[in-house]
Amino acid sequence: VSRVFCWCAGAGQDVGRSCILVSIAGKNVMLDCGMHMGYNDDRRFPDFSYITQNGRLTDFLDCVIISHFHLDHCGALPYFSEMVGYDGPIYMTHPTKAICPILLEDYRKITVDKKGETNFFTSQMIKDCMKKVVAVHLHQTVQVDEELEIKAYYAGHVLGAAMFQIKVGCESVVYTGDYNMTPDRHLGAAWIDKCRPDLLISESTYATTIRDSKRCRERDFLKKVHETVERGGKVLIPVFALGRAQELCILLETFWERMNLKAPIYFSTGLTEKANHYYKLFITWTNQKIRKTFVQRNMFEFKHIKAFDRAFADNPGPMVVFATPGMLHAGQSLQIFRKWAGNEKNMVIMPGYCVQGTVGHKILSGQRKLEMEGRQILEVKMQVEYMSFSAHADAKGIMQLIRQAEPRNVLLVHGEAKKMEFLKQKIEQEFHVSCYMPANGETTTILTNPCIPVDISLGLLKRETAIGPLPDAKKPKLMHGTLLMKDNSFRLVSPEQALKELGLAEHQLRFTCRVHIQDPRKEHETVLRVYNHLKGILKDYSVQHLPDGSITVESILIQATAHSEDQGTKVLLVSWTYQDEELGSYLTSLLKKGLPQSTP
Amino acid sequence: YRDLHTFELQAPTRLIEWARGSRVCVAGYGQSDGNEILQLIPPPALLTKETRGLCPERDFKVECGGFSEHPVYSLKYVPDTSLLVTSGPRDSSLQVWQVSAEDSDVIKSVSPIATENGTGQSWAKIATISARAPWVLHGSRLDRVQVTEVESRKNVYTAASGGSEELSGLAFLDCNTLLLCCTPGQLCLADIRQPQGLVEAMSVPLAPCSEQWCMGTRNGTQGLELSSQPVARLSSRGLLALTDLRKTSEFLALAKARVPSPGSGAEFLCISWAPALEGCLAISGFDGTVHVYNTQSWDSSGREAEPIFVHKGHAFGGAGGSGDPPLVTVHTWHLQKPRTLLSAASDGSLHVWDWVQPCGKC
Repeated sequence: VSRVFCWCAGAGQDVGRSCILVSIAGKNVMLDCGMHMGYNDDRRFPDFSYITQNGRLTDFLDCVIISHFHLDHCGALPYFSEMVGYDGPIYMTHPTKAICPILLEDYRKITVDKKGETNFFTSQMIKDCMKKVVAVHLHQTVQVDEELEIKAYYAGHVLGAAMFQIKVGCESVVYTGDYNMTPDRHLGAAWIDKCRPDLLISESTYATTIRDSKRCRERDFLKKVHETVERGGKVLIPVFALGRAQELCILLETFWERMNLKAPIYFSTGLTEKANHYYKLFITWTNQKIRKTFVQRNMFEFKHIKAFDRAFADNPGPMVVFATPGMLHAGQSLQIFRKWAGNEKNMVIMPGYCVQGTVGHKILSGQRKLEMEGRQILEVKMQVEYMSFSAHADAKGIMQLIRQAEPRNVLLVHGEAKKMEFLKQKIEQEFHVSCYMPANGETTTILTNPCIPVDISLGLLKRETAIGPLPDAKKPKLMHGTLLMKDNSFRLVSPEQALKELGLAEHQLRFTCRVHIQDPRKEHETVLRVYNHLKGILKDYSVQHLPDGSITVESILIQATAHSEDQGTKVLLVSWTYQDEELGSYLTSLLKKGLPQSTP
Repeated sequence: YRDLHTFELQAPTRLIEWARGSRVCVAGYGQSDGNEILQLIPPPALLTKETRGLCPERDFKVECGGFSEHPVYSLKYVPDTSLLVTSGPRDSSLQVWQVSAEDSDVIKSVSPIATENGTGQSWAKIATISARAPWVLHGSRLDRVQVTEVESRKNVYTAASGGSEELSGLAFLDCNTLLLCCTPGQLCLADIRQPQGLVEAMSVPLAPCSEQWCMGTRNGTQGLELSSQPVARLSSRGLLALTDLRKTSEFLALAKARVPSPGSGAEFLCISWAPALEGCLAISGFDGTVHVYNTQSWDSSGREAEPIFVHKGHAFGGAGGSGDPPLVTVHTWHLQKPRTLLSAASDGSLHVWDWVQPCGKC
């Protein structure tokens, strides 16, 4: 029995940041290193002093794995590696490696430049941190060291998001990060093979949610856009370059085509270049449908969507514009916002979470009078809408993933304890595995049953598979052999081979039993009676009467002799080898019952 | 539509019950065990009077859940308590459950109320009231109707057997009066203060072919007078009959709904009055649609009635082409928003919809 330890610095029962420490067969791995988006002070970073009181993190941790580029999973990484100090490898997928630094830099700019904070990581730190990153491909087994290996699986959710399997010997843990089991327009669904890990760590933020269908949300989004455009208003959609922006473009393009709409849709230039660039690079990460259409017609060159020019913002008439950055905190989207905010016919649709302090966050909180630079007050009359398409697995999805991976234990993070009792019971009842829900800072110990690999000799394998029914992939087959344990290796060989190797002689055990039968006739007549009796009863066995006067039943020998003192009694000698013990005992008790009266 | 939200439950439900605090309860009815009872909090968007479009909170949340070994065909909350009662096939016993959402999210099973064993697939229909004490009215057949006190399990009333017809529904009209609807169509009234009397109210004439009937009543527990609420009945052939309980010898109104002719059984027939729209009712259970009718223009001729709205969403939902088209298993009205309904179908879908009256009436 061995143990896997799991400790949550952030996620357990607090939807804020993810940072989990797993200790498996002596190896220590940190899963995600997220920042809490709700706090403005040191509470936003995980408390790494829990990990090791003294001693360096680099020595203690074997590696760090980042599941995807959302800030609540990677936001504290530069702080961790450069300010606290870690020089070991950091693993993530290629898209994550490409996108993380952009988001981190964006976030740094808002926090330091806009809010004037000082105890924060610098641009240089972000760069230095990314130098420690080793990018991995999906389904590629990466040897971190001689014993520890990791493998990434597709997780859906956002571009580049992965679930990771961490394996040491025959013990393994799978960490899901954020994942989604239903495909959407530009991403596929998460998938994992039946890897049977000892522990599956799954997020459960949306476990208690029953989501309304994507079709409804999309329909409502299109309705809002359509209504605004029909009354001559302008729609601003601030986006981060990737992911949702593409999905919305595809959605609008299809809608415009179907409804034969004429209003222009623009995509700011910086976005188009970056988007195309990234998608060409990471085309294998998008879903099947997009990949197929990408070949026929570049999905990211749209018929109705054109590149934007700053001057267009002043054009009269309706239009839709996608602009960066996503939280309206700077740049083009903020500029456009300022131009259009005063007109109530216009609309801004915020695509996701906005960090505190940004204009996006303020207007979503209901503020309608904003202070801009130079103490100018901006009155917001345009409509503000929020739409969230972000995809997480719900209870059904979690059950699906567990069904795919077949873990022996499940650990849930990212939910609220009270609300996870039902899910815990559901998982335990359906899959008969233990389900854990630790709180922040709590260490969970999971007992595992390590399996011991044993080599089986080819000769034994061939021989055993030849006996009995044909091997069936679905049924276990029982084999007999001798287990030899020498040093640290285990081998299964045939008994003869084992004897030979060990230099032992084989001993044969033979049993002989005497059965007394009342029969005054001559011996050979008794033998005949016994023979006929047995032949009649033991129809499935081979019963033979040999010329020398003995009877064999399979390999058991029966001989008759007269009793030395009593002519009326015959003594039957029944003898068998150890292997035939069962049949021998049966025969003996059968004969002890006596022979039937009628003589043939 | 003014609004339409579609959701997918992990398992289909054939009941939608409202609970305190605007909660909604659904439950699985599959044959194997492991059926879940889920108490859901509807998204804020559906609770407020004005409908907002892209509101961030658009999802139902599972507030608490329980596991039932039996398929759950009927569920009723016991008013003024934290208990609910369920019933389902294999026998006509009732399961009692405790909901304590603040402490834990598990709905715990409390010991069942045993009843005489029914045969085969019969299961008890139930209704609850908490006027003098928390009571549950239950029975699978006319001669097995009882009122039991939920907490003490004491039997308060047993109906004198009028016949052994199967029941399709029952209700408390007030704290002393029971209304029973039999599957062949008769309505019966009973007064629990008179254990021997069973009044047969109205036999439904017509039709030699055996139809099955179910009924819908206005919310009897809200202190509305027995007299003012007509009872609506729906048959598996699509006949709609309205009866005034004061004048039971004639129909108040009779109409025919346009439904697919070989009625796909009466398993999921459902008819209900709108709580906030005068004279409007909804029916479902024939196919993947829910029909809404305005009965104010009906007479007793039995003519075909035109629905004022038909919800077809469930028929288009599904996984496309795999097996039978979905059948609407149940529907219910929103208690405050006049034109909002919730409906569920056999493919696990749950819809919340609100229609726009095209011609400005209603």
